[in-house]
Amino acid sequence: MQDNGPIMQLRGIVKGFPNGTLALRGVDLDIERGKVHGLLGANGAGKSTLIRILSGSYWATLGEIIWRGQPVQWDSPKAANDMGVATVHQHIPLVPTLSILENVFLGNGGRWRRSSAIRTQFNQLCERVGYWLDPDTLVSSLSIGERQMVSIFQALGTGADLIVMDEPTASLASEERELVYNTVRRLSKGEKKAILFVSHFLDEVMALTDQVTVLRDGLAVMRANTCDLDENRIAEAIVGKQIVALERQAESRVPLAVVGNDQIPRLELRDLASRGKLQKISMSVAPGEVVGVAGLLGSGRSELLHAIFGADKSATGEVVLDGKRVARDTGAAVKAGIGMVPEDRMAQGLVPDFEIWKNTTLPALGGVSMWNAIPVGERERDRGWEAIRMLGIKAISPEILVKELSGGNAQKVTIAKWLFSDVKLFLLDEPTAGIDIGAKTDILRLVRQLASEGKSVIIVSSEFEELLTVCDRILVMRDGQCIAERNARDTSEHELLLLAGGKSAATEAARH
Amino acid sequence: MTIIKENRLDQSDVLGQDVQTSAKTNWRRLFGLQEMGVYYALLLLIVTLTIITTYIGQSNYLSVQNLSNVIYQSSLIAIMAVAMTVVLISGNFDLSVASVAALAAVMLIGNADAIGFWPAAALAVIVAMSIGLLNGAIVQYVGINAFIVTLGTMTAVRGLVLIYTDGRSLSVANPDVIATMKSFEGGRHDGFWLVLVAGLALLAVAAFRIFQTRMAGKSLRPATLGMVVAGLFFLLVSWASGGELILRNPVIMMVVFTAIVWFTLSFTMVGRRVYAVGGNSEAARLSGINVTRYKLMAFVFCSGAAGFAGVLFASRLRSINPAGLTGAELTVIAAAILGGTSLFGGAGSVIKTLAGALLLYSLTNGFNILNLGANWQGLIEGVVVVVAAAIYTVGGTKAKSKTGG
Repeated sequence: MQDNGPIMQLRGIVKGFPNGTLALRGVDLDIERGKVHGLLGANGAGKSTLIRILSGSYWATLGEIIWRGQPVQWDSPKAANDMGVATVHQHIPLVPTLSILENVFLGNGGRWRRSSAIRTQFNQLCERVGYWLDPDTLVSSLSIGERQMVSIFQALGTGADLIVMDEPTASLASEERELVYNTVRRLSKGEKKAILFVSHFLDEVMALTDQVTVLRDGLAVMRANTCDLDENRIAEAIVGKQIVALERQAESRVPLAVVGNDQIPRLELRDLASRGKLQKISMSVAPGEVVGVAGLLGSGRSELLHAIFGADKSATGEVVLDGKRVARDTGAAVKAGIGMVPEDRMAQGLVPDFEIWKNTTLPALGGVSMWNAIPVGERERDRGWEAIRMLGIKAISPEILVKELSGGNAQKVTIAKWLFSDVKLFLLDEPTAGIDIGAKTDILRLVRQLASEGKSVIIVSSEFEELLTVCDRILVMRDGQCIAERNARDTSEHELLLLAGGKSAATEAARH
Repeated sequence: MTIIKENRLDQSDVLGQDVQTSAKTNWRRLFGLQEMGVYYALLLLIVTLTIITTYIGQSNYLSVQNLSNVIYQSSLIAIMAVAMTVVLISGNFDLSVASVAALAAVMLIGNADAIGFWPAAALAVIVAMSIGLLNGAIVQYVGINAFIVTLGTMTAVRGLVLIYTDGRSLSVANPDVIATMKSFEGGRHDGFWLVLVAGLALLAVAAFRIFQTRMAGKSLRPATLGMVVAGLFFLLVSWASGGELILRNPVIMMVVFTAIVWFTLSFTMVGRRVYAVGGNSEAARLSGINVTRYKLMAFVFCSGAAGFAGVLFASRLRSINPAGLTGAELTVIAAAILGGTSLFGGAGSVIKTLAGALLLYSLTNGFNILNLGANWQGLIEGVVVVVAAAIYTVGGTKAKSKTGG
């Protein structure tokens, strides 16, 4: 075994697909023991393809995989696993009806479902990672963060030397992210594992990794030690200078004029609550105002949006839009002029087998129909084209099925759904999660633009920096409760983190 | 609304994984097994049977007489299968159709003597629809899987049939009712002009649409192509019939029913929403669509159609055996699957389901003509269904592109 050279070397990897797409055009990559190697790139740059080649799901069309100095050919994820490469996938593939223990050792060939040997092994894993879970809890009852830990355990349980992590923190709240970071540090520094860490978050890449490779259009455009870099240079490598400039432009927005008191509020919530999920909340949102909701996972932030939208049947209290009460029903909410972009775009926001145009017109079919009953295909396709043009969706035509789009583009379609009818209030739940900086900037700019047209927006995000950029006012939620309200200009990411994390929540409560 | 635009498009479009289909007509997909498989199979079967019958010197399989027989025999199942397709598209499943049809038939036969044919038929359909409502309500409000619920109602409704008939066959005695039933089910009409005009109309519309897409430089849609094929087929049939084409009532009803459902699914908002509800019910709900109502109405519609098929069935026989139509639900579902309807919802076409039903009955008919006996029939039918499903699945995964990035 070679201990000093890179444990994994990729040489000139090319991957083409039958439809003519060239996802990778000759990528070299060296991953060393005891190092965290960051892999970055915009959506569609080829990261996922590269990971699938590493983990054995795809064959490389050309090029060499050198593992511990030996060229290898993997024909299945199992083969890769057996040789010591484990992958933690972005969409955590666990069996929800089995216990943590059974999930962690799912690939094991043992004869019995329960054995004390496995339990001992599990305890050792906990020990190594420094994180304890009850092995008998069902995975279905875990939070996303805990599930992420279970899948890391799963990777470790195979005894792998190279652990590939595909955006392990994308859907986590900042507290849970810290846990993943600690685990990664422990594994690489303490156990000399090699880790390939894929992420969209530049700050975590800076803080966590030792080396960085940036992919763009199927090529490795930058390879460097992290200590020689800063976030700006990485961002430039990912998307080109243009985008970084755009983001700054978005940051230096002009704050909206304070809305007069005589106006009817766009939205008024009166004692909106939902048992066990959301405690009573009353607030109002002015026309043209962007309100941010900062909170960790499980803080009730998504539940708030669902309750406003009428998607939560058990919610109580009143939702008043432009002075009119909205019935507790998604149909009524849409009719009244509320649009919702849910957190999980593929599961909640889009019909994956529909083309872009069919998704775009779904909530407002009446507007493209004859006699309000028969949709006209041509008008709908024009809508699709308009959505592509307006939001810069990367698709050659609206005939493309949304399941074939990458994350950022699919998200844009989810938002585009609401742009063609008279929507007065937009509810955006994590609209920028897991998408590249370019798409993110587009979406944030769109939010500001909607606000300047007099629409109101409530936006939930785990990235507080983003909220500070785009919002007028920020609510902080914790445990289903709104615990603080801040003017976006008077607060900082630091303060929001502290509030949402609960450290100063007690003093906050005392102050009010 | 202003436009967010950047020059970013040109960077990644060369390689971008989002770009797969070109705006040009994708002929391979249009004529691929996925789109057209069931038509190919039907055509292949008819050609094979024609060649064999000609070779062994039997009466011509392709005679208008024989073909219209096949269509007549398949009409009941086809009506149920078309309605079943709607339930499947909405993301549910209904095993109870055959029992519901039998119940409707029993209601009609049992009451027609007393209250007359039309009131009894209305009663039968209403009873059938109320069972659909029950199915839908249990599935949507209690949240039990549709397969389990309708497995239960299938058995229970068959039980109702047995209770109602006390296990004996029922038949009608009133000559007036018998006469109405005969004219309702057995009526014949000369459909020559109808078929001719329909064929010409389809071709005209298709020609107009092809012209339109050519002018706009857009891609040809499968529906247009289907119109051409159907139009040519209609013209062929009217030509082959030699000026007189006798259509029986159930065939006309089947065609009209299928046409209405096809139009509703393909061109109306209701249809689009049915597909959306089946494709992703949560996304549909969060787009303001009343998912529960759509799924429930699909059940009611399906059971109503089954009730109507039961009325036709009872009128054909003018008596009913309590075990009548047992097992027909499987033929109905098989027809829908042959037509490429997804059991997971969100995809399916009633025209293809119709072709699937015709395919199954062409098989049966072929067995009869060739004197192969019923023993082989089950085996062959089963193989055909599995092969069809395999083609759809394999074709589906191949067509799907694996994307990176």
